[in-house]
Amino acid sequence: MICDQCGERSASVIVKQQQQGQITELHLCHICAAENHSINIAFEQDPLAIHQLLSNWFPTSQASINPVKKEAATCPSCGFTFHKFLQLGKFGCASCYDEFAPQLNEIFKRFHNGNTEHTGKIPASYGTTLKIKKEIEELRKQMQASIQGEHFEEAARLRDEVRVLSSKLEGGAPNGS
Amino acid sequence: MAVERFLQPRASSWMANDGENVDIAMSTRIRLARNLTDFKFPYSFTEDEALKVDKEISSVLLDKGSELDYTFSHISIEELAQLQKEVLVEKHLISPYLANSQHSSSVLLSENEELSIMVNEEDHLRIQSLQSGFHLQNAYKIANELDSLLEKNLSYAFHEKYGYLTSCPTNVGTGMRASVMLHLPALTMSHQIQRIIPAISRLGMVVRGIYGEGSEALGNVYQISNQLTLGKSEYEILQDLENMTEQIIQQERRAREAIVLNSPLILEDRVYRSLGILTHSRLLTTEEAATCLSDVRLGIDLKMIQDVDMSILNELMIFMQPAFLQQYADKPLQPKERDFARAKLFRERLNKEGINSEGEDLA
Repeated sequence: MICDQCGERSASVIVKQQQQGQITELHLCHICAAENHSINIAFEQDPLAIHQLLSNWFPTSQASINPVKKEAATCPSCGFTFHKFLQLGKFGCASCYDEFAPQLNEIFKRFHNGNTEHTGKIPASYGTTLKIKKEIEELRKQMQASIQGEHFEEAARLRDEVRVLSSKLEGGAPNGS
Repeated sequence: MAVERFLQPRASSWMANDGENVDIAMSTRIRLARNLTDFKFPYSFTEDEALKVDKEISSVLLDKGSELDYTFSHISIEELAQLQKEVLVEKHLISPYLANSQHSSSVLLSENEELSIMVNEEDHLRIQSLQSGFHLQNAYKIANELDSLLEKNLSYAFHEKYGYLTSCPTNVGTGMRASVMLHLPALTMSHQIQRIIPAISRLGMVVRGIYGEGSEALGNVYQISNQLTLGKSEYEILQDLENMTEQIIQQERRAREAIVLNSPLILEDRVYRSLGILTHSRLLTTEEAATCLSDVRLGIDLKMIQDVDMSILNELMIFMQPAFLQQYADKPLQPKERDFARAKLFRERLNKEGINSEGEDLA
């Protein structure tokens, strides 16, 4: 059969199109068939077939076994196995990131030019909490040092500061921005 | 229905022809991917969860949008007809993935169509900010402000080490994909583009033809975007992309100068033949239209053609697509009928508002 579009090459692909109940059938050669799909907006296309890359890097036979636990890694929250993650190339939920953590550095390195840690924006609320936690840690260390040095007044002052900060943490969402 | 106004063949503000380097950089897009903590991601969540996510995000946007002076229109994807979805895809307002969504999902659009927020795409939340021309920083600022507003009202899945958690491992970290659409006819004609593409991919960025796979970019339109989302801050990523884009723009300019210098008549002939096809043909395929549009754009940029408005060409690039043609004709069209409708659209638009009618077009 000859291609319906160019009328030159022999057809190798059948394209069926259903439009409001009407079915059209086109017999196309491989070149015209490729052209027929040329109007795909590429904005949101995956640049790479992620799952293909993943399964090339991690042959599934060994990847489905968690090297630490020596058993198939399964995310308890969404039920995704590591094997499924590789097959699909997608995480099932936020917990997957912790469950599959042993293998993730290797994967992220390949996708992100060797990087494994986020250094960009932090949600304001999250950032404030993180900052307060770190401040408290620091104050506690100073307090211990003060006690050991028998500077009790200083230690008491630090203890009060820790209390103020702790109450901020417990007082719910700190002032975001 | 809220969607109607977005389906009209009316220009979105990002199709306008203003902004720096707009002769080469046609438009800029920033996309931020976010998920909520309390729900599984779209690849594994239940329909019940999908509904809750959809409701929660949509209501926050509708309630709080006014804090940034936005009035969002909420469009539920499952309520749209197939053709309406395709029109929104062709207009870049939703992704093909969202159009094919099997669960409760929505898109919220700002009035000027510069902001499009997709709910339950591959991630719970996808903020997309579109600008005409080359405006990475501005497009990011708009997306980032909305993101900061949303994080006060939604609980994002964020990891101390990995950053914003996304369905796809290629988006984790900043969750940001920044892209610029570039018209590169001279680099394509001189085959230099084939040297540039692999070089850029080694630097954590990617260039590809905007339409279709394969090496040949239909209409010489390419998209450059960051590949890397982890390990660099948003500003570093934008800076890198900006520098690289500027270099490509410079190279395209040099290649244009070389062509004008070496073969001005061949170029002029090509430009005017293409203008002739666009303004006089009776059957126009997408491929031919895209090729001719590219030539005419180049002709305008090089001041060979003075009387065609560039923003009409930008619009035609969008409106010449199959779903738009059918929406405009108000009926389904077979491929040959579409070629006829496309040719008619070009004749009408270019003669009415572009070139003064010379009275030849009475068919």
